[in-house]
Amino acid sequence: MSDLKTERIEQMLDYIMKKCLWQFHSRAWDRRDQNQGILSKTTQLLCDEHVALETPADRCYWVDAVCLAEAFRERLPWLAGMSVPEIKDLMQGLHERLDYLTIDGSLNEELTDQMY
Amino acid sequence: MPYHEFECSTCIPERKKHAVVKGPGETLADALPLGYLNTIPGTISERGCAYCGAKHVIGTPMKDVIHISHGPVGCTYDTWQTKRYISDNDNFQLKYTFATDVKEKHIVFGAEKLLKQNIIEAFKAHPDIKRMTIYQTCATALIGDDIDAIAQEVMEELPDVDIFVCNSPGFAGPSQSGGHHKINIAWIKNKVGTVEPEITSDYVINYVGEYNIQGDQEVMQDFFKRMGIQILSTFTGNGSYDDLRAMHKAHLNVLECARSAEYICNELRVKYGIPRLDIDGFGFEPLGNSLRKVGLFFGIEDRAQKIIDEETARWKPELDWYKARLTGKKVCLWPGGSKLWHWAHVIHDEMGLDVVSVYTKFGHQGDMEKGIARCEQGALAIDDPNELEGLEAMNRLQPDIIFTGKRPGEVAKKIRVPYLNAHAYHNGPWKGWEGWVRFARDIYNGIYSPIHELSKLDISKDEIPTDKGFKTARMISDADLPEAVRNDPNLRRYTGKYDMVAELRERTYPEFARQGAQEAAA
Repeated sequence: MSDLKTERIEQMLDYIMKKCLWQFHSRAWDRRDQNQGILSKTTQLLCDEHVALETPADRCYWVDAVCLAEAFRERLPWLAGMSVPEIKDLMQGLHERLDYLTIDGSLNEELTDQMY
Repeated sequence: MPYHEFECSTCIPERKKHAVVKGPGETLADALPLGYLNTIPGTISERGCAYCGAKHVIGTPMKDVIHISHGPVGCTYDTWQTKRYISDNDNFQLKYTFATDVKEKHIVFGAEKLLKQNIIEAFKAHPDIKRMTIYQTCATALIGDDIDAIAQEVMEELPDVDIFVCNSPGFAGPSQSGGHHKINIAWIKNKVGTVEPEITSDYVINYVGEYNIQGDQEVMQDFFKRMGIQILSTFTGNGSYDDLRAMHKAHLNVLECARSAEYICNELRVKYGIPRLDIDGFGFEPLGNSLRKVGLFFGIEDRAQKIIDEETARWKPELDWYKARLTGKKVCLWPGGSKLWHWAHVIHDEMGLDVVSVYTKFGHQGDMEKGIARCEQGALAIDDPNELEGLEAMNRLQPDIIFTGKRPGEVAKKIRVPYLNAHAYHNGPWKGWEGWVRFARDIYNGIYSPIHELSKLDISKDEIPTDKGFKTARMISDADLPEAVRNDPNLRRYTGKYDMVAELRERTYPEFARQGAQEAAA
């Protein structure tokens, strides 16, 4: 991964970690759903693509995605100069990094509890 | 993020994995304090018990209920003074507290008869109250009293009453957090779905994990009502027992304190398909974003934006007056659980405070993940500290103030560190735009209180200056401020009232036409 891409992912990550709560649900499966649901919708919004809102859960993901996309656009001026494939590639990298920090590399021993 | 070993705890090596320093370039995957574990023998924890977590944190803020502890009278201590979850029904649940007063003879011969007699006596003493919660304690759990059976018996004899039983004795978990879990699950299992509510809006929420500390719930309720949202229930501050039985009919669960109440949100999501939206009610920007998110969910974000614009314009000059005087002050943010992450970033961003340490008494590792992610580099994060560790940390970090509970707060005072009560507040409410300014004012008054200047002098050895006059808070806080800031005409101190909640209770709200009605008219 290029240094520039890594740096940009870290900037996005810094915002999520400081300002958001949705990535820290209490179980691994729940975090995976949250990361997937919100980041995929954020990517669609950043790429001006259609966002499906078929269920209340979809709508809930979308709400956080709207706020995240707005914050990224406002704080990260370099986003405006990126093409759709570049944004998708960057968001994919962000998704992988967030999954690592909050799920796969997390030291939180409660994540794998079967019950809430 | 290296683990931090306290000098005072070298004799308890297990403690080393309970504290870390947030280092540069390090992540949550490098080190994370252990959490939600049984207290280590030899360390004197400041935690509460699982009974306390169930009753005193979550159960008792319900307002129209007789809350009775089935156990020794001492278990029911926390009412006036120690708890400040007020309510709009003249604080019934705070004014009256009940215990069955179990004694040695009941332990020997059983206390079920005593319990039944107490229940009936309490209902007779308060004929207008028809709802009751009963909390098991260690003693009555160990002797095996069947509280559910007694409650059922009474409900059959008195058909107009309803009783909820919470079996969460003190030993049912490592800390009060175990009790939070138990009462969440017991409530959804036994009570949710037993009342059908009247729906009065197109936008219906449960407001979950909010305990109306000094009026926080009423502040938030005001915003939701201004947006035309029906709060079906609040779990549990200022909440009504029967409203909480109808939680299954909400469109959205708005979750404030995930530590104490995520369980019921998760279960409502699984059982009834109601989504969970986590919010931050503290701080201008986080609160604004939270209202906006709720607005977006229902398609009424313009109503949220109107509130954000009005409130920000009204209160920002006052917050900034305090920010100018608090910038760079060092804080140990040492609450029980969720405020560690609700406040860690926003007191830095909006008040200029530097958080040098975060701790949690009963939080889980997930709370530490959130708190460490939000605080600045160099902060010391501690799980379940003991008193000596707290003292060692304060001596090392030299904070200007700490935000914590009464017990560690009084310890801090002994080494001349002012504290604010993070659980029950000083002059709250602290939620909402105005509340946030009140919090800033309390911090200012704590740090710059003239009494702390005087208390730093030790009359047994220091020379007491008799040629200098008394310094007011303003003289201390403004001494090094640039002239332009000191006399900035755009900034001002808090101008709200002593009691900001009374007015909220008198307020009327706009009627928003319901979508169904509009469609019928078209």
